[in-house]
Amino acid sequence: MAKRDDERLELLQGTLDMLILRTLQWGRQHGHGIGQAIRAQSDDLLTVETGSLYPALHRLVKRGWLKWQWDQSEANQRAKYYRLTPAGKAQLSREQDRWSQLVTAIGRIMNATPATKE
Amino acid sequence: MRPVPPGNDELDDEIRGHLAININERIERGEDPEAARLAALREFGNVTLTRDAIRRVWLPAWFENAAALGRDVRFALRALVRLKGMAATVVVTLALGIGANAAIFSVVRGVLLRPLVNRDEDRLIYIRQGRPDVDNMNFSVPEIDDLKARVKSVRAFGDFSTLDFTLIGLGSEPRSVKSGVVSGTFFEVMGLRPVLGRLLDRRDDGPNAAGAAVLTYRFWTTSLNSDPAVVGKQIRLGPTAATVVGVLEPSVPYPADTEIIANVVTSPHHLGATMSKGRTHRMTELFGRLAPGASVESARAELTAVHAGMMREHPEAYSTKRRTQLTVARLRDQIAAPARTLLLVLLATAAVVFVIACSNVANLILARSVRREGELAVRAALGAGTGALRRTLLAESLVLCGAGAILGIALAKPMVAMVSQYAARFSVRALDVASGGVDASVLWVGAGLAIAAAILLAYVPRLPSAHAPAGLGLGAGSVRITPGTNRRLRLFATTQIACSFVLLAGASMLLTTLVTTQTAKTGYANMSHVLAIDVPAAALGVPLKNGIAFFREATRRVGELPGVEAASFGNVVPWRDAGAFGGNARFTAEGYTPADGEESPIGRVRTAGPHFFAALGISVLAGREFTDDERDPVAIVNQSLAQRMFPNGEALNRRIAWGDPMNPNPTQRRIVGVVADVDDENMVRQPAMTIYAPTSPMLGYGGRLFVRTAADPYSMVPAVTRVVRGLAPDQSLERAATLEDVRAEVLSPDRVNAFVFSGFAGIALLIAVVGVASVLAFSVSARTREFGVRLAVGSAPGDLVLRVVSEGLAIATIGIAAGAVGGYALARVASKFVDSVQMPGALPVVGAAAVLMGAAVAASMMPATRASRVDVLQALRSE
Repeated sequence: MAKRDDERLELLQGTLDMLILRTLQWGRQHGHGIGQAIRAQSDDLLTVETGSLYPALHRLVKRGWLKWQWDQSEANQRAKYYRLTPAGKAQLSREQDRWSQLVTAIGRIMNATPATKE
Repeated sequence: MRPVPPGNDELDDEIRGHLAININERIERGEDPEAARLAALREFGNVTLTRDAIRRVWLPAWFENAAALGRDVRFALRALVRLKGMAATVVVTLALGIGANAAIFSVVRGVLLRPLVNRDEDRLIYIRQGRPDVDNMNFSVPEIDDLKARVKSVRAFGDFSTLDFTLIGLGSEPRSVKSGVVSGTFFEVMGLRPVLGRLLDRRDDGPNAAGAAVLTYRFWTTSLNSDPAVVGKQIRLGPTAATVVGVLEPSVPYPADTEIIANVVTSPHHLGATMSKGRTHRMTELFGRLAPGASVESARAELTAVHAGMMREHPEAYSTKRRTQLTVARLRDQIAAPARTLLLVLLATAAVVFVIACSNVANLILARSVRREGELAVRAALGAGTGALRRTLLAESLVLCGAGAILGIALAKPMVAMVSQYAARFSVRALDVASGGVDASVLWVGAGLAIAAAILLAYVPRLPSAHAPAGLGLGAGSVRITPGTNRRLRLFATTQIACSFVLLAGASMLLTTLVTTQTAKTGYANMSHVLAIDVPAAALGVPLKNGIAFFREATRRVGELPGVEAASFGNVVPWRDAGAFGGNARFTAEGYTPADGEESPIGRVRTAGPHFFAALGISVLAGREFTDDERDPVAIVNQSLAQRMFPNGEALNRRIAWGDPMNPNPTQRRIVGVVADVDDENMVRQPAMTIYAPTSPMLGYGGRLFVRTAADPYSMVPAVTRVVRGLAPDQSLERAATLEDVRAEVLSPDRVNAFVFSGFAGIALLIAVVGVASVLAFSVSARTREFGVRLAVGSAPGDLVLRVVSEGLAIATIGIAAGAVGGYALARVASKFVDSVQMPGALPVVGAAAVLMGAAVAASMMPATRASRVDVLQALRSE
């Protein structure tokens, strides 16, 4: 069941693009699927509004990191599928590195024990 | 491969697909189809907003920036509406700067740069023969024949001589028209086409051709109402009959603004031996069309060489003392040459005004941006980058400069008319500019200047730096003025003063000259009641038979008209005919022997009819006037001559004689009178020895009537005309004007010069005063606290006033010094390129400095009194 609204987390600025790239790492997906996947994999903690998702998808296409393709969905619906381009894969690994550095750095600060005075 | 933006249908499809998949999933989970559809729509949110957001992703980057600029512009508009005074000052200042530049630039373009309508006009040259003492002596027919025969780099020559004809026909009274007489090659060489009928060609050459005339476009449209039936009409040009064969296309009238152009046969003079054989009978101007492959330079070299050969072959025809030289110029440059200096000076003046305007606007904007520092700091704190802050400033200056440009272009239209009327005195092409109205280039110049100004102005203020202490007035609207800003403000104000000083000094120089000229005593009494009328006998093409008798009879009859006090004749209308007739001769006076090695003195020789001095209002100091019946050879001299030649005061009854090229043994004449000095050549009277003779053989070629009336002189013109026509029915009378109006007319270029430059200087002064006032006002309001403290510790309000005023004076003094140095340097540089750069005398310079000082004091008075009235408590509490 969905979490209550106040339990959901706001996406950090600039992370949506990275999440989209990551979601598409295992293959093509349509917009609705991408949104669902992010939500499911975050245990319903993150929700992506369509109003942010679609502009982000198109922005990534414009930058050459994604490509689209029209196809039939499992339920026989015509849908636009997004997939990573080679440039997108490279971008994903860059973002992944930066993200782990950021997490490490912030983690060190947040979990640091007070320094003892000499 | 670049990704292609999706179309509208594709976006709709994608959104529809998204909804359909969501609904399907919900139905599979067992939701009711209608509920599933509503839930999916709700979950999606606002479809239109999403679609717009996607579309914005695909917009190019500049579009985003432009949209942001648009928002900034709207913001700037709202902000400026609140600052009406400042905005209006900036807009008007810029409009004056931009308008003046745009107007002058379009005249410069029209006069100096635009090609002529003539076919291949860059192959047309104008050839001139001149001596150090005679700028343009023209050519004689034998000279032209020599050039035609020998010069190879000029394909064909066209010749043009200017004559006055009395035109009879085409439905007007006999009147004198300025006409060109040309040979058949002229129009071919000039590359002009007819708009009606045909032009003159080789058929019209020679003494046996029929008289033929071409009308100029201006004459045809203005005097004949563009009558299409004019071709084929018969006219009389003096004694000769001619047929109108065509109308010339609109073209620059050069060398003279004539009304008709006729073939050689219409002028008996052109067929005579003097004209065709006399090598020194020079009255023809010469044009040439370059041969293929020839350049102006090669033609110049060849023409000069051939000309030098001609001078060796005919040494008798060229002065040995003063070297005769040939100059060759491209026709377009020749036409523009007289106006060139003037237009460049105007352009420079307009540029100076623009600099003043810009620095004033920069001042105002700088002051404003200091007040905006708080707002800019807030924007910076909220994440606005340097670019965004500049854009905010750019939006405001764009709004201001755009409004300035629009107003400026509106102002440019009347200014173009004014400037081109003015420039028309120097180049006929300027008239086309006036009739053509504002050039489209004005718009470009205006827009270009505005954008340049806007960008410049946006970079004037300092931005709040990211590294600066951010506390900077974030909250209160208080203003702290940094020394840097203050320096910049003063620098701009000083620039304005310096530029204004240069303009003011120039204008006051012109004004001083004008005032000197206008207030000069002329020696003519009551000039507004003396009518001068040209009676051009040459207009008939043949000398008036017995000219002296005609003029005596005419003036006798005019003198009897009621209301006429005196009537006479002469050969020179003061000032109007200055320099037109030579009229100088060497003379010998009884009892005066020139020192060894000195030539005999030179005097002006003038013809004076009976009652001449009464009619012109020149006092007779001794002896008498000429009478109706002079049997013996007599003369009258002026005071200067009498004093120089007869220092003991015994001029009367002495003998005087003067040379005359036609008469090697001059008549000895008895002096019967001495009259007061007048100067009919210079506007400011200079002592010149003058001799008056009661008659002249040249009078048959035209004379001048002088009529002194009791009532309005112009009301007498019809009566005088009737009297003259009673003696000679076809005689034309021209240019009737009182001496006063003649003088005003001759002075008018000076007056217009002074007027135009005073206008510019006035604008500059106005802007500079606003500039100084605004700098001081700003500096005072920023130092409210300082003044409060000063008052609190016991400064007298008067001291504060003095303090602020002395700041204004300091700006003015430095500006004037800089202007004097800069102006002097500018004049030195300019004198390398332009011949006639005059340095103003001490009086105009001191005057200009005094005016600026006065203006600076006046401008600082308002802020100064404000400083002295600062409310101590409020000032101290304000921070």
